[in-house]
Amino acid sequence: MRTLATLVLKDVRRRFADPAALLLNLAIPLVMAGMMALAFGGRGDSQKTPVLHLVVVNQDEGPIGRALGNAQQNPEAANRLDIKQAKERGEGLTLLREEGAAALVLIPKDFSADLLDGKDVELEVVKNPAASIMPVIAQQGVEVAALYISIGARLLDGRGPRIAELFEGRGWDDTVAVAALVTELYQRVQGIDALLIPPLVEVKTGEQEAAKDADKGRPNFMIWMFPGVMIMGLLFTANTQMRDLLREGEIGTLRRQLAAPLGAVQVLVAKIVSVSAVVALATVLLLLIGRWAFGVTWGPILPLAAASAVIVLAATGFAALVFSLVRTERQGDAFGGVLVMLMSLLGGSFFPPQVIPSWMQGISRMTLTYWSHGALRDLASGGGWDKVQGEVAVLAIIGLVLTLTGLVALRRRHLRGTL
Amino acid sequence: MTTPQESREVALRVADIRYAYGKTVAVDGVSFDVRPGEIFGLLGPNGAGKTTTISIVSGILPPASGQALIFGQDASGGSGRARARMGVVPQDIALYEELSAAENLLFWGRLYGLSGGALEDAVRRSLDLVGLADRAKARVKTYSGGLKRRLNLAAALVHSPALLLLDEPTVGIDPQARLRILDVVRDQARNGCAVLYTSHYLEEAEQICERLAIIDHGRVLAAGTVAELRRLVGEGPVVRIRGAIDGDGLRALAARCPGVSFLSADGDSASFSARDPDACSGLVRELFGSGLKLDDLRVQEPNLQSVFLKLTGRELRD
Repeated sequence: MRTLATLVLKDVRRRFADPAALLLNLAIPLVMAGMMALAFGGRGDSQKTPVLHLVVVNQDEGPIGRALGNAQQNPEAANRLDIKQAKERGEGLTLLREEGAAALVLIPKDFSADLLDGKDVELEVVKNPAASIMPVIAQQGVEVAALYISIGARLLDGRGPRIAELFEGRGWDDTVAVAALVTELYQRVQGIDALLIPPLVEVKTGEQEAAKDADKGRPNFMIWMFPGVMIMGLLFTANTQMRDLLREGEIGTLRRQLAAPLGAVQVLVAKIVSVSAVVALATVLLLLIGRWAFGVTWGPILPLAAASAVIVLAATGFAALVFSLVRTERQGDAFGGVLVMLMSLLGGSFFPPQVIPSWMQGISRMTLTYWSHGALRDLASGGGWDKVQGEVAVLAIIGLVLTLTGLVALRRRHLRGTL
Repeated sequence: MTTPQESREVALRVADIRYAYGKTVAVDGVSFDVRPGEIFGLLGPNGAGKTTTISIVSGILPPASGQALIFGQDASGGSGRARARMGVVPQDIALYEELSAAENLLFWGRLYGLSGGALEDAVRRSLDLVGLADRAKARVKTYSGGLKRRLNLAAALVHSPALLLLDEPTVGIDPQARLRILDVVRDQARNGCAVLYTSHYLEEAEQICERLAIIDHGRVLAAGTVAELRRLVGEGPVVRIRGAIDGDGLRALAARCPGVSFLSADGDSASFSARDPDACSGLVRELFGSGLKLDDLRVQEPNLQSVFLKLTGRELRD
């Protein structure tokens, strides 16, 4: 234990003997977060809330098509939506490309009539891959709208054609029939009011609360973005620190330590511990900066500490494994950098994993970035221990497996004389 | 400091060790002993297997076969007791440049189990030994190459080892720093420390080592005292020539001269050994009479260079 402490303290002394290098290393994730904040508007005050740009091709002349196509007329939606209308699909796609909109929504001909007749209908969404995460928001928005429309259509089961007549201004003269229809619909709605009525009330209440406090209730984009950038930065920090193992191999201090009366495992474990100490320091700094600079609240301290600890373990284990597979620092930088970028892309650092093809989403769940983002985003969204315990457990397993595999691989390299 | 009992035993016994990096055999059946108070030289060109031998002796690499025993204990033993009695000066300047000289020595001393006042005394003594006491607090990155080499040696002496392994400790430094290092090594040996010294500087090895082994391609070609090794090329002078030479022609020329042996031809250089001054005169006459275009001709006493030439057929260059 005393020897382990001596080895770790030596590395800590070296880091603090050259604070510029340490600060530069810690600055990598900060610069990344800052750039992301500049690119996406920083914390979520009202002026900087992202606006969803859509192109709508409405070929339906019925009431539902009109309502969807003119959603921007809703005063709340007007702050969040910018809708450009197109007459047909080709024109819509051109607008999508030229205006840089997030997505094109196509409401097909006879959408309302078919829906009221009880037929299956489709809404088409064409996403613009060049528009960051906004296409996903558009897709999810349309999916929510489709859900509500489906619920409505089922409520009208068998009464669609009659209601369509009323929308067209016919049949109002038979007041008894209209009253019977309204009563029937009211009774159906009453049957599912627990499902439908509270959301309607909640929307109204939400508007009132938002008016009282400009920031509350509005989305803070950095809650989503900061954890992604932070994890990527931590992985880069772990890699940069683990480089020191090969540097010590190159300058000969590693061989000198191995000639001393201590085991190779002790030397390697000490290096892993000292790397994890720097990664832990970077984690704390980034959490504080996320809180103060970007308004990200991290939730209760114990779940946050547990999530941070397993993230540090996983990042350090990842770096140990990377540097057990490469021969030179340069190879480590290149190989490690590519892996970090790949894991960040697949794991959802820059956009939600839902936007990638479904077969790749399976791979996404195998990355440590996926689980790390998940834990931090859940905490930032107000989740507690119950929400993150699964992610913490998965990260602990990933961290242990990576660290032990890295340790075994490094020891094998030592025995082969290639470390 | 070694005890009287240790002085009667072998400090280091290397017995038929072998090691290969993949298919490349680096050490192929090397054996030698080093006794307390003795400086034993391992001499050979770059890539001969010297550093691999040192790595096996210092317990960094496990030999594929054979054994390296330090005061009777296996060097690669897990307990590290054997390694605790050994100081290693690697070929690289294995120091932390961000730290001061004293901080480096404190670290290496702690790894060998020193602590408290004993550690501080040991650091002071080591810095004094190599003449760096006045620069103890300066960061190593501010040191010249020579000063770094001296500190590299001090780091191996901080725990007063009974066996000192030096792997080319004077590479790339000025003559003054080299002399200082050689003095410290001699002092250590005088105090009873066994020293294994590898080098490809023949003059240096000749100056400092009592016994030597010449190693090439992982094998020991010859071993003994400097005098014993010199006798391998005879007692008489060695003639070295440089110019437009033809190996076969020179071999035939040597055969025509009584008491002359052809040693080697390497590029534009060739060497002969002569049994005595008369044989040497005969060879020189024959060379000038042969019409060869010579740029240089030297007659020298036999030295390790000529031994190496005879054993390997090529020169050992720096």
